[in-house]
Amino acid sequence: MSTRDELKSRLFLRVALPLTKVVREEDPRMRRLTRNMNAVVQFAVKGTETGAHLIFADDGLEVVQGIHEKPTVSFTFKNLKSLNDFFAGGLALPRVKGLMRLDVILRTVPLLLSLKMLMPDSDPKDPAKRALKVKLLLYMVTSALSQLNKAGEPAMAKLVEKSPDRIYQWIVEGGPSAYLRMKAGNTKAGRGVYTRRRPFVLMKFPDIEGAYQVLTSKVPLVEAVKEGFVVTEGAMEYSKEIGIRMQMIEELMAA
Amino acid sequence: MAKGLTWTIDDADHMTQAEIYGEVLTQLGAQNERIIALTADLAGSTKIGRFQKDFPDRFINLGVAEMNMMGMASGLASVGFVPVVSTFAVFASLRCAEFVRTDICYQDRNVKIIATHSGTSFGQAGTTHHCTEDLAVMRSFANMKVIAPADSYETAKALTEAVETEGPIYMRIGRSFEPPLHKSVDFDFEIGKAIQIHEGTDITVIACGRTVLSALEAAEIAKQQGLSVRVLDMHTVKPIDTDAVLQAVGETRRIITAEDHSVIGGLGSAVAEVIAASGKGCVLKKLGLQDEFAIVGYPEDLLHRYGLDGDGIAEAIQQVMKTDFEADEDWEDEV
Repeated sequence: MSTRDELKSRLFLRVALPLTKVVREEDPRMRRLTRNMNAVVQFAVKGTETGAHLIFADDGLEVVQGIHEKPTVSFTFKNLKSLNDFFAGGLALPRVKGLMRLDVILRTVPLLLSLKMLMPDSDPKDPAKRALKVKLLLYMVTSALSQLNKAGEPAMAKLVEKSPDRIYQWIVEGGPSAYLRMKAGNTKAGRGVYTRRRPFVLMKFPDIEGAYQVLTSKVPLVEAVKEGFVVTEGAMEYSKEIGIRMQMIEELMAA
Repeated sequence: MAKGLTWTIDDADHMTQAEIYGEVLTQLGAQNERIIALTADLAGSTKIGRFQKDFPDRFINLGVAEMNMMGMASGLASVGFVPVVSTFAVFASLRCAEFVRTDICYQDRNVKIIATHSGTSFGQAGTTHHCTEDLAVMRSFANMKVIAPADSYETAKALTEAVETEGPIYMRIGRSFEPPLHKSVDFDFEIGKAIQIHEGTDITVIACGRTVLSALEAAEIAKQQGLSVRVLDMHTVKPIDTDAVLQAVGETRRIITAEDHSVIGGLGSAVAEVIAASGKGCVLKKLGLQDEFAIVGYPEDLLHRYGLDGDGIAEAIQQVMKTDFEADEDWEDEV
């Protein structure tokens, strides 16, 4: 079982950091900023194998887990807590290598800062930004739930351990979809609609705005169902279990 | 049910599936004078005595001459009657096989064969009187429709539909006091359309006849174990409801079939044919008699012995849920 700090760093490195890829694809400003960039930007904890790096190459971005031997720029934190504080928006000063490539830093930092839109207090008015936030939150929730299981978080692992092949599906009409598959101790977070079996639990949002209200917890789930912001189908007692884990994720990733 | 029938669901509390058949046939006979009942010295056992009493001119007992009965039914159908033939399933499907095939199916005659004492429902009479091959035989005859109603209510609806449907139909029913599956007659019955008895997403049990109730009991047991089981009442084995089977494959990917019949050629085979033709992958387990004759015993004991009661199907559900059929599964999160 992971410690709380290990769990948090896992969520930041394996769940939040990869979302930069989505932001880059969806936000024209970020795409322009990182166009034709060739660099490796690493985030790591000193003296450990804990880390992840962004590879900008061929006008694309990949987020890879683990330590890169020769990053262009690296942010090295003295411990897990320090890395977690940094990603949660707190005060944490990493050791930065590669300061000579200030251009890389100046182009990467805005991309990282764009993830602040995941914070509960971020409430963009621009419809495109709201749609992006919905997509990021959906991807984050499904990935984070899967990572909780992979990290052996006791409650999530117990839920998954004896689970038959089951799909928890989130669908936004006219927008993004994501799912969490679980089966006999394994989980997978996926994007889009899982078509190989019927969802065990389905949460369907009639539009982006409804999804926004629910996923940002602006409207409690019970009220959201009543108001028609979300339609749920399937085993609702299990969706409650998932809801509890989602709250846990929110707490873990908060500052 | 046809307009004017006086049969009610309350009758099912004190009448067997065969008795309900006899009652409904009599009421249909009052509405449709083209209906003629034929039997081979089994009017009492097949419960059509009341039809004989009410319509003696439209009742023919041929004695122990089942094959002749099929030939005569074909002839009556050729001049516009609706012959309803009643005998034990083992005689209707096996002894009469060639006559049913050539005289009725090949001619596409409007004959209704109501086969009582099917499966192991006449268990104590011995293996000679069991019939665990009829679905396989009848299903293979071109033009033939094959129905296995789950309880008395369904028998009543199926018979009414059968009489109104042109062409040969084989309907197998039980002999004993099969408990009711449906709580009322308030359900839709259409030949060729399965009825979803229980919703579920983990696994589907497709059953026909008496085993539908067992499947429902198994679904309740499995629910206590955290499993979500879909139960389909596949009352029409031919033409099978392909859409319902494929939906089950697509949505649950684990299928169990249950039938009081050999696993060769019956419901399980019909489901397997649909799955194989679709090219979709799934796990399939066929419950029934595994290439063997049933021993002698009471029907409920035989259902238990052959894993066709609620406990047996629940156990099969657990086994199938453990089957891993995707060795190439990828559990890496999509990022």
